[in-house]
Amino acid sequence: MLEVDRITTRYGAITALHDASLSVSAGELVAIVGPNGAGKTTLLNTVAGLLRPATGSVRFEGNDITGAEPARLVRAGLALVPEHRRLFKDLTVDENLRLAGCTAKSHERRHRLEEAAELFPVLRLKWTTSAGYLSGGEAQQLAIARALMCNPHLLLLDEPTLGLAPTMVDVVFELLVRLRDQGRTMLVVEQNAARVLRLADRAYLFRSGRVVTTGTGAELAADSSLFDSFIGTT
Amino acid sequence: MNARAGLVRITRSMVASAALISIVAVLATAYTRTGGASRHSLIAEMLSNFILVLGMQVFIGNTGVLSFGHMAFAHIAAYATAIVAIPLATKAKALPDIPFGLADVKYGPLGATMFAVAVTMVVGTIFGVAVCRASGLAPTMITLAALFVVEQVVKNWQELTRGAGGLSGITRLEGNTWLWVGAFIALVIAHFFQETRIGRFAIATREDELAAPALGIRLFTARYAAWVVSIGLIALGGSLRAQSLGSVNPKQFTLDAGILILVMLVVGGMRTVSGAVLGTVLITAGNELFRQLGDPERLDIERFPDLFLGGAMLLAMLLRSGGLLGDRDLAGWLRRRMYRPPPVIESDGVATEPASNTLVARDIEVHFGGFVALDGARVSVRPGEVVGLIGPNGAGKTTLFNVITGLVQEQGGSVKLGDHDLSEATPVEVARAGLARTFQNLRLFKSLSVRENVALTSLVAGRHRAHRPRPETELLLADAGLTEWADRQAGTLDYGNQRRLELARAAALAPEFLLLDEPTSGMSDTETLAMVESVRAVAARIGAGVLVIDHDLAFITRISDHIVVLNEGRVLAEGTPAEVRANPLVAEAYLGTSA
Amino acid sequence: MTKLLQSLVDGLGVGSTYALLALGISVIFGVMHLVNFAHGELITVGAYVSYFFFLHGGSWWWMPVVIIGSAVLASVATELVAFRWVRNASPFTLLLTSFALERLSHALWQIFVSPKQRAFPKPSWVFNQFKVADINFEVMDVVTIAVTAVTLALTALVFKRTLFGISVRGAAEDFDAARLMGVRANRVISGAFAYAGFLAGIAACLIVMRSPAAEPSMGADWLLKAVIAAVIGGLGSFTGAVIGGLVLGLLETLSRVYLPDLAEGWDKFSTAVVYVLIAAFFVIRPEGVFKVSHAERV
Repeated sequence: MLEVDRITTRYGAITALHDASLSVSAGELVAIVGPNGAGKTTLLNTVAGLLRPATGSVRFEGNDITGAEPARLVRAGLALVPEHRRLFKDLTVDENLRLAGCTAKSHERRHRLEEAAELFPVLRLKWTTSAGYLSGGEAQQLAIARALMCNPHLLLLDEPTLGLAPTMVDVVFELLVRLRDQGRTMLVVEQNAARVLRLADRAYLFRSGRVVTTGTGAELAADSSLFDSFIGTT
Repeated sequence: MNARAGLVRITRSMVASAALISIVAVLATAYTRTGGASRHSLIAEMLSNFILVLGMQVFIGNTGVLSFGHMAFAHIAAYATAIVAIPLATKAKALPDIPFGLADVKYGPLGATMFAVAVTMVVGTIFGVAVCRASGLAPTMITLAALFVVEQVVKNWQELTRGAGGLSGITRLEGNTWLWVGAFIALVIAHFFQETRIGRFAIATREDELAAPALGIRLFTARYAAWVVSIGLIALGGSLRAQSLGSVNPKQFTLDAGILILVMLVVGGMRTVSGAVLGTVLITAGNELFRQLGDPERLDIERFPDLFLGGAMLLAMLLRSGGLLGDRDLAGWLRRRMYRPPPVIESDGVATEPASNTLVARDIEVHFGGFVALDGARVSVRPGEVVGLIGPNGAGKTTLFNVITGLVQEQGGSVKLGDHDLSEATPVEVARAGLARTFQNLRLFKSLSVRENVALTSLVAGRHRAHRPRPETELLLADAGLTEWADRQAGTLDYGNQRRLELARAAALAPEFLLLDEPTSGMSDTETLAMVESVRAVAARIGAGVLVIDHDLAFITRISDHIVVLNEGRVLAEGTPAEVRANPLVAEAYLGTSA
Repeated sequence: MTKLLQSLVDGLGVGSTYALLALGISVIFGVMHLVNFAHGELITVGAYVSYFFFLHGGSWWWMPVVIIGSAVLASVATELVAFRWVRNASPFTLLLTSFALERLSHALWQIFVSPKQRAFPKPSWVFNQFKVADINFEVMDVVTIAVTAVTLALTALVFKRTLFGISVRGAAEDFDAARLMGVRANRVISGAFAYAGFLAGIAACLIVMRSPAAEPSMGADWLLKAVIAAVIGGLGSFTGAVIGGLVLGLLETLSRVYLPDLAEGWDKFSTAVVYVLIAAFFVIRPEGVFKVSHAERV
């Protein structure tokens, strides 16, 4: 479904991603783990069209989408839950969701709004609250609900549990399980490596902008050198 | 700053100014030789514009703060000139009720000019406090308000200004000699300002509003100095224009006139004096050319210059937003040509005795709304020690840095450097007290050269950290491995070198502690290893302790004497690198629990 | 009392025009951080278009449609030909670009029409007066306030209820996040310009009805006031823009009416007093009434 072929992405003078390749097949949950600054977020932002790779290509469902506008990618079926959530804090929950449904026809949008209210009962209670007033857990659920409003074939999640209280981390992981069971394809960047690896079909370990290891989630989790590669060898 | 260096600077300013004005003089002579007497008045107009443009350059060009209201001060100066330069008999008729005992005052050209500059600067220095305290767009709006206020006062204070009709009969200057002299003086002042310490500081604030205070440069002081000098030049220009024309009226220095001056500045390149000069000449010439396209009988004499001004500005913005010259200028070229690096430019490994203070941050608490970023975090660094600060994403490492350096106000806890309490200190005070930081997102003075980035900070050290040995700029560059890039523009360096330059720049402050925020992020493994050496060399040279955030444990282990692990705003573990690695809590914080 | 009410009505009349313009400036600032100094030129466009329209026998009833339509088109056109090409430049560059457009607009009217004012007859009812409880109201004052009130209510509705309005607000807060939700950057920016043009068109109608004349530099004064109003309110804040506009209008009128009572002979300096107050306000609150934060990581 998604093939990332040797992309290199730079921010000005900084090369954040060197020749990184990965792939995601339909129905899979693929995890990306690695230390800060390994280029994980850069990879997701490049795939989602916020950044343009210097070299390499990204293909999605058979089409070349390298450097395409995010708005086009959303319509093609690719949605990103960005790092730090990036909710519209001045907009209400309802408005956040409606804005995210802007690619759908109005009856379809209404239908998805109902679905979202069903899937996220917490949000239904806060429907007309400004997103800025939500707690961390509620905000993260809204961020995911917002991406689902685009009805993506592939959902990209960037650090969905960052800064959440432990009980909320549980809620988010349960949500990931539920979405996987519904057959959603997901590519997840997650700091809680141990946990996301148990869930993932396959995983990639990034370090310094490069893919270091890849394998099934279980293989990576069992790898005793994971911690070392995570924070660097001495 | 010794006397000899001062002399070199003033000489350099004079040479650059003389060269520029000679070029303009040659062009002007060629122009006036080939035409009638009216051409002299165009030159007169250009010369007074010249001074006004330079006046705006000193403030806008050096500080990057846009002002629409500079013409208000030219206005004040022009009227102040008129009031004391009109013969007494004429004045008695035009202004019978003139207040402040001005009825009997009549000065010669020099006296009138000095009077006007003095009056304008009194008003301007008071007003400048308001302009330079504000930030963002507010200064622009405040200057705009000043323009409206002055315009209305001039139009309505009949007793002093004779209202809408204006004042005429000012004793006129013979020929353009005085204007040439004025233009030369303005050039020297504008050049010299960029050479002074405070002028360099103003440029630093333009380059990065956050990095400058973090290196001990007070935004207000730097901007205010530029403002005062700028208003002085504007006053000179306004006064000379009044004496050159022989009359003043409320329509002389409106917003439109200000825009003309602004276009000259922007098209030529506002950051340099050479750019301002080029812009003035080009726009004056173009304006005149387009004016001649119009037919004076049909009122369209003013039509075409507007077309030219708008077009020139639009093209400049679309194609070269830094102006035609950008950062190139004659004075800068001279400076580089005249620069003689000291004989020792090899890294010699000489170390400085560490200072005696310990940096202690205790029980720091920070909330952003409901989000708890720091919850009792603490860290201490002894003199000369290297402490590594690690922790997963979102642990609060950078927030702790921001608290220590005064960018974020903590809700609880204290920051102390020896006996010096820095809990309430602003970034400037923290920097001057001896803490220098780098930024995760790189905040170099991008359009300045590598050497200037370091040398400029060294000027702060000379002023505020004179009790510590001041590191030689060239040696710091050598320690950071930047010698061969010293003349490059900082913004054009590759990433690793930009990181190293931030390190060298922070060290130039001669701090007691260096705070480095992710100095190796985005670097390759070999570059990271080299960074260990750079940090060690630089820290040893200035005798500073180091507090360093990094996610790369290889780097942290190599460089640190002691490691502190933050997680969820608290200290999770600390100890020697080996102890920290062996701690199961650390592995859990990094990899997550399997719960 | 009468005097107070009358000056309040006057102040609201002027202030509401400022508010319409300031709101447009704030909307555009929200989506692309541009302080649009060319915004006032939309008034000029509207005035000239209505002049030509009138010259060719147009009636006052169709005038609003023509004026608003031309302002919308002109607004969108400025984005297409100029601002789009400097979209990611510094705010300084953006601002100077808009300044350049303002100059060019002046020049084009001067060259292709005339530097002189072109007047045309006003609708007969504009300055008719009517009396309510001993107070004289001009019809135009009431029309101005009513039209503005309706427009602002409509604007609130658009920004609250329609997908377009929500997109603009979302994009103003976090442009990249909006793009990630499928909002098309070009479309939302064009839309913001179109809406700002619509608001400016309404302002132009009100201005032209009161004094039906077209002049190359007529937009400049309104523009400066509107920018000041928008900055007073806090650039990027829509509510702030409206409040800033109304406050500025009231301040101007009230100071003109009441200053002579407070200090004799000072009436001619009323504008100066207002701007001294405004300068003082910016010293105390440089970010305006409503601070709009743009998170910046260090």
